[in-house]
Amino acid sequence: MKLSTLLLRLLLILAGLLVVLPLLWTLLNAFKTNADLLVSTPKLFFTPVWDNMDYVLNRRSVARALVNSLIICSSAVALGALLGVPAAYVIARYKNRVTREAQFFALSLRFLPPVAVAIPMMVIWLGLGLYDSRLSLIVTYMTITVSITIWLSIPAFERVPMAVEEAARVDRLGPYATFFLIALPIARLQILSAIAFSFILVWNEFLLAMMLTTSRAKTLPIIASEMSQLGMNVPWGILNAAVVLLSLPPLILLALIGAGMNSAFSRKSAQD
Amino acid sequence: MAHVECRNIRKSYGGHEVIRDFNLSVSDHEFVAFLGPSGCGKSTILRMVAGLEEISGGDLMIGGARMNDRDPGDRGIAMVFQNYALYPHMSVRGNITFALERAGVAKDEIARRLGAVVETLGLGAYLERKPTELSGGQQQRVAIARAMIKTPEVFLFDEPLSNLDARLRGHLRVEIAKLHRALKTTSIYVTHDQLEAMTLADRIVLMNQGRIEQMGTPEEIYTRPATLFAAGFIGTPNMNFLELEAAEGRLRDGVLDLAAPFALAPGKVTLGIRPGAVKLVAEGDPGAFPVLAERDEFHGETRLLALRSGSQSLLAAIPATVRIAEGERLWARVEEAAMHVFDTGSGMRLAA
Repeated sequence: MKLSTLLLRLLLILAGLLVVLPLLWTLLNAFKTNADLLVSTPKLFFTPVWDNMDYVLNRRSVARALVNSLIICSSAVALGALLGVPAAYVIARYKNRVTREAQFFALSLRFLPPVAVAIPMMVIWLGLGLYDSRLSLIVTYMTITVSITIWLSIPAFERVPMAVEEAARVDRLGPYATFFLIALPIARLQILSAIAFSFILVWNEFLLAMMLTTSRAKTLPIIASEMSQLGMNVPWGILNAAVVLLSLPPLILLALIGAGMNSAFSRKSAQD
Repeated sequence: MAHVECRNIRKSYGGHEVIRDFNLSVSDHEFVAFLGPSGCGKSTILRMVAGLEEISGGDLMIGGARMNDRDPGDRGIAMVFQNYALYPHMSVRGNITFALERAGVAKDEIARRLGAVVETLGLGAYLERKPTELSGGQQQRVAIARAMIKTPEVFLFDEPLSNLDARLRGHLRVEIAKLHRALKTTSIYVTHDQLEAMTLADRIVLMNQGRIEQMGTPEEIYTRPATLFAAGFIGTPNMNFLELEAAEGRLRDGVLDLAAPFALAPGKVTLGIRPGAVKLVAEGDPGAFPVLAERDEFHGETRLLALRSGSQSLLAAIPATVRIAEGERLWARVEEAAMHVFDTGSGMRLAA
């Protein structure tokens, strides 16, 4: 092996450790008692306890927030996909002024700082009497899911060879049949990754949720952050347990579609 | 099977007209090749016939009916694309039968037709594979099978062999020729490869810059090119062109002095001679002219000899057994029948 390759590998391993170690540490700490946690030399070997998890899982607020998060995020993602995927197809296939503007608009939604949206949104939902409801958060999150789904699905559809769709037209397929039977199945992996990515974004969303909910529609990130304000003594074990719980759904999603995700972000020109 | 007719077909993108007044009639059972350099408009016309490209003006008739506004699926055509354009998410079987299933053809009828097509193209072993697991040649066979099973009125081929390597191209070319002999379906075949056009087509439509340069059987185009472009495009190695002055029954440039093959009006002409028509002869042979051998290329069967006479240079294809030293002085002669005379200004062929 050449020296440069070796150095690059080392750098890669170092970068990997930087990401993985804190996560691993959080996972370990979620199963420690306070006595094991609050020591000057961190313990690698200890008797794991279920207490922290038990505490988190048995709190009514956590259970409710978990349900809220699941309903809000999956609804926003489903609706975002329903609107975003066909929109991305049209933008990818019918290039004209209108679709170019639409593509840029979808991206500009992502440039917008959430704070700029949060206050007007709060006023709007208060006015409509929907403040602190799941519906309000679903609709607000749709701006995130629709735009990211559109943005990541456009290259996926662009990679579907034009000639294949033309062959479909010669085989008597109309535009809708071409979309559902040809383009969508061919681009499915990347589309799924785009949708999953939009799920992770809203699952982790904090600022908008904090501004738009007070009690009924609180999501998991809000509850997790509240755990650090329980009292003078920061309950480290419980906090870690909450973080682990919060991280699980996105991680599971990632593992399921990791391969597709990679190809969605690196635009390889492979024929698939 | 049907007759295809293009009447004054035009194509423009925005204000830019790429094809104007294209007229062509392809009769039933005929195999017509569109031949020309890239960008000459041959693919555009094929795509207009297919319905994949809008027709800006004129009429397209297939089997006597006007097709301008019909969807590609309703024109009775089947198309084979350059990059195969197979459905990557379907098996080979799915690719071939997809159109029939969509059209609601009965299951046993599909099975019967699939069996026949698969046998003709030798795809039996690959039916359950995905297109990506096949080689380029096999993929194009699947694409041909997909077109064949529809038993179309007209086959359209858009440079079907140009993504394949030379050997496979030869194989598949022969297969396409056999298929056409068996099916006799009217076919339009777009290519930039003159060998494909010459060997497959009943008739070649030679195109340049959106216009038909010449139309005719491969032999006609080869033996009597109508323009300088046609003369230069067809034939390997390329035809020699000599810039000469016609006067008093002679063609001269100060050094060269050849007898004109027929009476010519005085003026500038371009004399075209195929390398194979240049013969080396003994000094004193009637009509012989002196040349200098500049370079000798061995091509296997033949040798390509670069000759010079004054300011003009020309290539001669001679049997490989003849050995010529570079720098040797020789005498060459060209039969009058092998001389192609063109008007230098207009590029048109001049005839007696």
